[in-house]
Amino acid sequence: MRVIKKWLFVLLLALSQPLLADVINVPLHYVGPTEGSVWMGVQQGLEEANVQGEFLGQKYTIEVVTTQDLLSLEHATAILLATDDQHILGIAESEKFANVPVFNLVSDSDVLRSACIPNLLSIPASQKMKKDALAQWLAENPNSTAHVQGWHEDFKKFAASQLNNRFKRSHGVVMDNDAWSGWAAVKLLADTVARTNSTDAAVMLKYLKNDITFDGQKGASSTFRDTGQLRQLLLLVDDNKIVAEAPLRGAKGGLDSLGLKSCK
Amino acid sequence: MKLKQLILSSMVLVSVSAWADPTHRLFVTNEKDNTVSVIDSRTGTIETTLELGERPRGIGLSPDHKTLYVALSGDNAIGVVDVATLKVLGKLKAGDDPETFDVHPDGNLYLSNEDDAKVSVLDPATNEIIEEIRVGLEPEGVAVSPDGSLVLVTSESTNMVHVIDTTQHKVIANILVAARPRGLAFSHDGTRAYVSSEIGNEIAIIDTKTHEITKKVSVDVPRSKPMAIKISPDGKTLYLTTGRASKVVIMDAMTLEIKSTADVGNRVWGAALSRDGSTLYTANGASNTVSVVDTATSKSTKEIKVGEAPWGLVLDD
Repeated sequence: MRVIKKWLFVLLLALSQPLLADVINVPLHYVGPTEGSVWMGVQQGLEEANVQGEFLGQKYTIEVVTTQDLLSLEHATAILLATDDQHILGIAESEKFANVPVFNLVSDSDVLRSACIPNLLSIPASQKMKKDALAQWLAENPNSTAHVQGWHEDFKKFAASQLNNRFKRSHGVVMDNDAWSGWAAVKLLADTVARTNSTDAAVMLKYLKNDITFDGQKGASSTFRDTGQLRQLLLLVDDNKIVAEAPLRGAKGGLDSLGLKSCK
Repeated sequence: MKLKQLILSSMVLVSVSAWADPTHRLFVTNEKDNTVSVIDSRTGTIETTLELGERPRGIGLSPDHKTLYVALSGDNAIGVVDVATLKVLGKLKAGDDPETFDVHPDGNLYLSNEDDAKVSVLDPATNEIIEEIRVGLEPEGVAVSPDGSLVLVTSESTNMVHVIDTTQHKVIANILVAARPRGLAFSHDGTRAYVSSEIGNEIAIIDTKTHEITKKVSVDVPRSKPMAIKISPDGKTLYLTTGRASKVVIMDAMTLEIKSTADVGNRVWGAALSRDGSTLYTANGASNTVSVVDTATSKSTKEIKVGEAPWGLVLDD
């Protein structure tokens, strides 16, 4: 009797673990360099997505493809682009990917935002966002020589130091703007799969644009504007030191005081 | 070194025998000046300040209240203090970057190792890490169930509550919650657990049998970033600290409806509730103070100056 009980227990234990067949595979297609900051950021995001996936039964992979490969794909879950403006526009506007989330990982072009392409999601801050952040800072500090960054290796608040530590530990170099964007894109997708339990591109796109509350490890929760731009805190950096965070205290509109607010 | 460890071990061992008379001391970790403030809770005055090590954060008492434990994140250790004599007894192993912990009824400490994505189980009697359990990224809040059968851990960057069975030391369930989960608390009967989400600005109730979320609400207070959770002795009231909102939110523990709020110092994180439920103490990280809140009136009656960036607190009453 005791032996049977023991085997029953082992069987139940085995059944309670996620079975191999239950694991959802999530391939993400990437066009861009396979070395340097943005690639390391994508790899960091992938590693972290798979930690989450380990507990939830999801396995993420990055498929590095050429534009040619991409266009001949039968099916895509999400596309990550670390390419130029024209290329990004071309992919995002193609009929084939109309319902697929297309991530811009590197370009700060205002055109990519004002084009208001429904499936294009821009992670880095636009030129206009950076300009507005600088203007807020210069209104109080006219002689400053600061510039604007989305991320900085010395950023510590809001668990930024934990992310900086993880990145440095994995890659041996500090995390910069592009690395943060690469990381954030993959993390956004992993959050979306975790919460929707779906890898259907259209379901994911809808969730990303309307429902996500993303923790980019820089304070306020991040969401997307209808322009496809990720709302986010920015850093004023002078002489490689963080001197302020934008939006500055009291700036009307909060995060929406930076950049093109809406397509309307 | 060996001898010191041996002495320390035997002192801790001796201390797990009987209940101690309450000292009414309130201990506060000050993250940025590497100190622990000792407050006489009856007078609200600082009795002394202890130096235990670098970056003190999580804080707790042994089941018999004779021993104080302090997570020293910068030293990868747990500082140990005799509650009655305030003698610093030494340091215990804690793995990499221990942030916070909870003490099991059997005396073991369940620690979150923030940079290593794991929970360590420390036996203070032997100063050995007896188990390491892999969890999500940036583990933070830890809560042991009243009967000791379960341990819950939040992983801040993986947005989960991990449920650990203490007999096997295995993760038996993972519950996805709102972004950046931090604080945890069990109901006194252990049937429910509460979890706060800092970025998601949410508090949720988890059924500890089914591991399902049975209720969740967004915290309708400007600038709220939910953190620590305390439950009143009668189980009816929940106290939630809210970071930069600088308020304690007082909720009905069943419906999560806001009953009132109490103004406290800036960036309020840690909280401690007196055994009789009459007084709540909060650690105000940006004001460098501890607020004393009268729970009958929901008013702060006193703000006590402590060290730099107070993080957590525990009361021996």
